[in-house]
Amino acid sequence: MTAVQETQTAAPSARPVVRRRRLRKPSVGAVIVYAASAALAVLWLLPLLWALSTSFKVETEASLGQDIHWIPQDWSLEGYRTLFERGDHLTWMINSTIVSTIVTVLTLVLCVSAAYGFSRFEFPGKRIIFGAIIAGLMVPGQALIIPLFDLVNDLHLAGTYWGLALPQVVAPVMVFILKRFFDAIPKDYEEAAKLDGAGHLRVLWNVILPLSGPIMAAVGIFTFIGSWNNFLWPLLVATDPSMMTLPVGLGVVSGGYGLFYAQNMAAAILGALPLLIIFLIFQKQIVKGVAGVGLK
Amino acid sequence: MPNHPSPPGSASPAVSRRALLTGTAAAAGIGLTGCGSVAGGLSDKTRVKQWNLLAGADGAVMTEMHDNFSAEHPDIDLEATTFGWGTPFYTRLVMGASGGNASDIATIHLSRLKSVSPATLLDPITLDELKAHGLDPADFPEKIWEKCFVDDELYALPIDTHALVNYYNKELCAQIGVLDAEGRLIETSGVEAYFDILRAAKEITGQYGTSLDTLGGWRQFWAWYRQADGEMTFTDDDYEMDDDKALAAIEVMYKMSEEGLCPQFADGGQCAANFENAASAFVQVGNWEINRFKLFGGDNPEWFSMTEMPDFFGNRRTQGDCHSYVLPRHNSWDPEVRDATIEYAAWMLQHSFRWGEGGGHTPAYLPVTDGTDYQALQPNAEYSGVVENVQFDPDAWFSGSAARLFDETGGIFNQVYGLQMTPEDALAEIKSRIETLLALPNPVD
Amino acid sequence: MTVNTEAPAAAPAAMTRPPTPNGAKKKQWAGLWFVLPFAAFYALFLVWPTFLGLYYSFTDKSLTGRPASWVGLENWAEAFGDERAWAALGNTAEFTLYSTPPLVILAIALALLVNRARKLGWFLRMAFFAPFVVPVSVVTMIWIWIYQPDGGLLNHYLQLLGIQDAAAPTLWLQDKNTAMWSVVITTVWWTMGFNFLLYLAALQTIDPNVYEASSIDGASWWRQLWHITLPLLKRTTALVIVLQLIASLRIFDQMYLMTGGGPDRATEVAIHYIYISGFEGYRIGYASALSYVLFILILIISIFQFRLFSRKED
Repeated sequence: MTAVQETQTAAPSARPVVRRRRLRKPSVGAVIVYAASAALAVLWLLPLLWALSTSFKVETEASLGQDIHWIPQDWSLEGYRTLFERGDHLTWMINSTIVSTIVTVLTLVLCVSAAYGFSRFEFPGKRIIFGAIIAGLMVPGQALIIPLFDLVNDLHLAGTYWGLALPQVVAPVMVFILKRFFDAIPKDYEEAAKLDGAGHLRVLWNVILPLSGPIMAAVGIFTFIGSWNNFLWPLLVATDPSMMTLPVGLGVVSGGYGLFYAQNMAAAILGALPLLIIFLIFQKQIVKGVAGVGLK
Repeated sequence: MPNHPSPPGSASPAVSRRALLTGTAAAAGIGLTGCGSVAGGLSDKTRVKQWNLLAGADGAVMTEMHDNFSAEHPDIDLEATTFGWGTPFYTRLVMGASGGNASDIATIHLSRLKSVSPATLLDPITLDELKAHGLDPADFPEKIWEKCFVDDELYALPIDTHALVNYYNKELCAQIGVLDAEGRLIETSGVEAYFDILRAAKEITGQYGTSLDTLGGWRQFWAWYRQADGEMTFTDDDYEMDDDKALAAIEVMYKMSEEGLCPQFADGGQCAANFENAASAFVQVGNWEINRFKLFGGDNPEWFSMTEMPDFFGNRRTQGDCHSYVLPRHNSWDPEVRDATIEYAAWMLQHSFRWGEGGGHTPAYLPVTDGTDYQALQPNAEYSGVVENVQFDPDAWFSGSAARLFDETGGIFNQVYGLQMTPEDALAEIKSRIETLLALPNPVD
Repeated sequence: MTVNTEAPAAAPAAMTRPPTPNGAKKKQWAGLWFVLPFAAFYALFLVWPTFLGLYYSFTDKSLTGRPASWVGLENWAEAFGDERAWAALGNTAEFTLYSTPPLVILAIALALLVNRARKLGWFLRMAFFAPFVVPVSVVTMIWIWIYQPDGGLLNHYLQLLGIQDAAAPTLWLQDKNTAMWSVVITTVWWTMGFNFLLYLAALQTIDPNVYEASSIDGASWWRQLWHITLPLLKRTTALVIVLQLIASLRIFDQMYLMTGGGPDRATEVAIHYIYISGFEGYRIGYASALSYVLFILILIISIFQFRLFSRKED
């Protein structure tokens, strides 16, 4: 666990599942199965579709008490336009991108380095440090918000990108996942490189990392999603709206959106979009990553 | 934040209007320096950050005034943000100030001044500074001015007095026959007399007689309780209140809702909407809705009028408070920012005629209220008596607008309106909440 | 709540099997340099706050920054006697109780269905998992609106179907009796997709031969489900439940955004009460003591989780 965020992680070394294709005659049962699952999937998407539809309405049509139209009678980009005029939505989006990128890059660098250290070296204090990090897996980040807030205040990091990002970087679970993966890489490759006179960093860079693409992707994507969607910590430290991340800005300042439903839903759609796109692009890695948790 | 009492309106078109971006270039360039955000960082203007809790009609008026201020002060970049009214706002203010990281200036309720720990979380304002920007202590009502001091330091600048008032739909009231010869709502005396009017109104609207913010029940309670001369005093570990009078006030709520004379649940926005849609002939909310109702009327901004709270228990007292400016604590002040901040506050006070006209509040700045323009203002004149009848909340660290007493009793009153709690149970629950609050160590001093 | 999956299987494995390959690894300081940066962060942002919080719990430290003094066990005594704190824990338990069954059963049911509708696999996976990547404030914005008593989508259709009387609309988020359920429904919609993927992956590892053998024996679909499929999903279910328990103890976001803990504290949960005590009530010392109570509870469940899964590894 990171100190404050709940990461959505995956044990990444999931073996690809070999599926066996079975030939089945199209039966009544199969038709029912397909119809039912398609219907349920659409039902599941209704809230998002409703938000999407509303976001393209004019305010008068969108407001409560009107008849419900799933297809806007009067298509309008008004909601989106006002949103961009106000500008803060874009600010939050950029803040989220900056914070999540810092968190992801730092998490990868720190955890890869530590995992490599634990996987390949014996050094004084290793057992103690390792033991301490194991214990950290059980420390619930949310229970630390009070002292952590105070600490970040004392370090004069409140309301800065560093204050937002750094406490989210501590992810012992990622160290474990990476270490396990590194442990499984045969030593032979490195021996060869070492014979060629490569130092430890070179070995890590030239030998280990190229073999770790999928796991790095999984760790990176999940760290990014976790950080992007983190709500509690940015709620505490991003005091000024100019420093808020998207979930906090929408949650806290949007109280002022009031009765502007089309605009509200436009904000919701734009707020959901970045990660939905990331999800669609990396669907395979994400699904595999989640699956890995269950399969291990 | 749906569940907080949402008095001053609930719709705000303008939030952080100036938090504009200079594009992605900014994102690439700044930001990682540790301080400051990508927003606004590129400007060479003096940036003044203002936080407020004024949404709805108030927010619109304030935004308009800010635009005028900015037009007159091209060198100052005013960045105003509206937060959810009440606890979300105050929590953010205190959390920000505790890290020296809040806005440069903020609006609070004067009743909350002590609860935000001025000694540690606010920066005092000097009289010299005020003089330099054309303000004088004599320009403010003495009673209010005194409330701005804590331990002999000036921490607040009062903007206005505001209170619960009674709006009425002129046409509906004419139909009921409760307007006098000059077209004003007749005065009544006692709960039943007023309920009779509401019953008649209900007949006509087919829905409700009046509409009250069921989440902001403390205001109504305090108004009626004070009409009955109820006292509430707190010492360190004890309190005194008049149970009979409190019960009478709560029974008004219950009976009104039970008879369907008002909605069982309505937040500030819904109350206003009920009034506008003629679902109710009256609405007892703050004077701050005046602008919204005027706008709603379109060509006929005088479709409604407003008067003081009805006399239930012998007088027309009402609950109220003062909006004020405070300066959250800074780790260090940039002298230019400080100067621009005071200039902003002074300008806003000196131009608070608009605040009175548009927001319905009574400006605290006497040169404005004593001016002939203001004296001629309608319908503000019709409820001018309100200022004398305003009752401020009891004095305790957990009391004041949107403070814990307000919030927690608000939840209880909401259930009374919802008929989920009897007045007796509600009173017992209120007393138990007060006892719990008293038992808490005072975290402020 | 984000579903928290700490790759629980991976962790104990690493713990129980310290790296020993190549037996004679020399002591190398280099390793320390690789570990140090992470260890420094870890010490500053996790270890230090843990002790700082413990220290604060014995003081009357205030958010206002006025000087704090040592109060001994006062905060702890107050925490154990604080009805509101217990009520918040009770609400947390209630949330867990309501949300876990649908999060398990729905996920299994949908996974079974999707597992048989493979040609739609891509679309179905997307549909059920997509809400999971949507930020919580967006989720709550949409659902608050759906729940609007007057003219909201849900009441509109309930009235259309004749289930609800238009004169007495359900106040989903404002009624004590429905508020918690409303938050649960939103949460299930939001996070079910994660469990769904877990089950789907588990189903796809089941060897089809198992079914073929039983089909020959004439076992019905139901019998297969009860006697083959569900038992094989036991481990995934145990994982889902434990993760759900931990995630539920940390629930905060949805309540904060949807109900603010109301009505009348009916949805006030543990973390929210800590937030209220510490930040709204300024009592850093007391909130620290409350945090530690919660901390200990989560610790117990985490240890349970550890044991559960390290046993599985053996």
